[in-house]
Amino acid sequence: MKFLVTKELAYSSLLKNLIVGVCIALFFYFMLDVLLHGYIIGFTFEEMNSTLYGNAEEFIEPILIDSLLLQVHIDLFMSLLAVMMIASIYIRLFSTQKMTKWLVHTLFLLSLLSPMILIFAYLTSKIAVFIWIVCFVLGHLLAMIMTVMIVKKLLLK
Amino acid sequence: MKNLKLYHIPIVYMILYVVALLVTGIWLFLLSQGLDSSQLLATLSKIVESPAPKSIHNFIEVATPHMFAIGTLIFVVAHFMLFSTKVSHKFSLRLSLTLFIVALLNIVAYLPIIFGLVVSGWVKLLALGLFVLLFLVLLGMVAFSL
Repeated sequence: MKFLVTKELAYSSLLKNLIVGVCIALFFYFMLDVLLHGYIIGFTFEEMNSTLYGNAEEFIEPILIDSLLLQVHIDLFMSLLAVMMIASIYIRLFSTQKMTKWLVHTLFLLSLLSPMILIFAYLTSKIAVFIWIVCFVLGHLLAMIMTVMIVKKLLLK
Repeated sequence: MKNLKLYHIPIVYMILYVVALLVTGIWLFLLSQGLDSSQLLATLSKIVESPAPKSIHNFIEVATPHMFAIGTLIFVVAHFMLFSTKVSHKFSLRLSLTLFIVALLNIVAYLPIIFGLVVSGWVKLLALGLFVLLFLVLLGMVAFSL
């Protein structure tokens, strides 16, 4: 509540530094999350296809729906908390800018859709895998850019 | 507050996120009970008659993250009712506390089945159904308050 009520963040150095700290942690979270999904799903398009659909030539079985759904379930929870924190701080600091509304919408849509598209890709076709890659990378990139903008605004004020 | 309208965006997406979490959670539970494609009713009756056997290890593995995640999620969603002018705080308080209790019951509902105290899985189905229903009511209240 203090965050919403305090008019000028620069006057509260504790709150300012706390927000900077959480944004740096979230920046590294999104960075490592890309790596984690690379290890789980694959780093290349071929690796992703092998994980999701299997590869008869290399005797690779497709990932079980239970395992993939569990990953999606965890992703939804983690990204809900992370994206909500970034969006709330961003709105608080950049509320006067016209772009804020669209950036927040884009961030939420990309973060919400990417786990769903991953399940859709598993159940349907390889084209959806490509859409998932675009959504996942753009969503994470946007979240990281927004954390950098928040930190920059707070530290360089 | 002049930028209050902008805060509606995260709240609306949070509601969608929670619905997606509930759907994937139910789907995962049904898969663990041997759900086949388009055999939902058969799986439900199988749960009632003879739920899939689980060990204490399985139970702890599922219960531990859910204790944290569901508790946090109820708190995050329900705290928005503090700002509501359309729904009374008293009702929000009662619903939130009931939801916390039902969530706890839902998490531990498999214990009597594991220990053989209950043969049928209706306890788990009832707790899960009640939990989802109450959570959807809370989400509806948050959406109505926007």
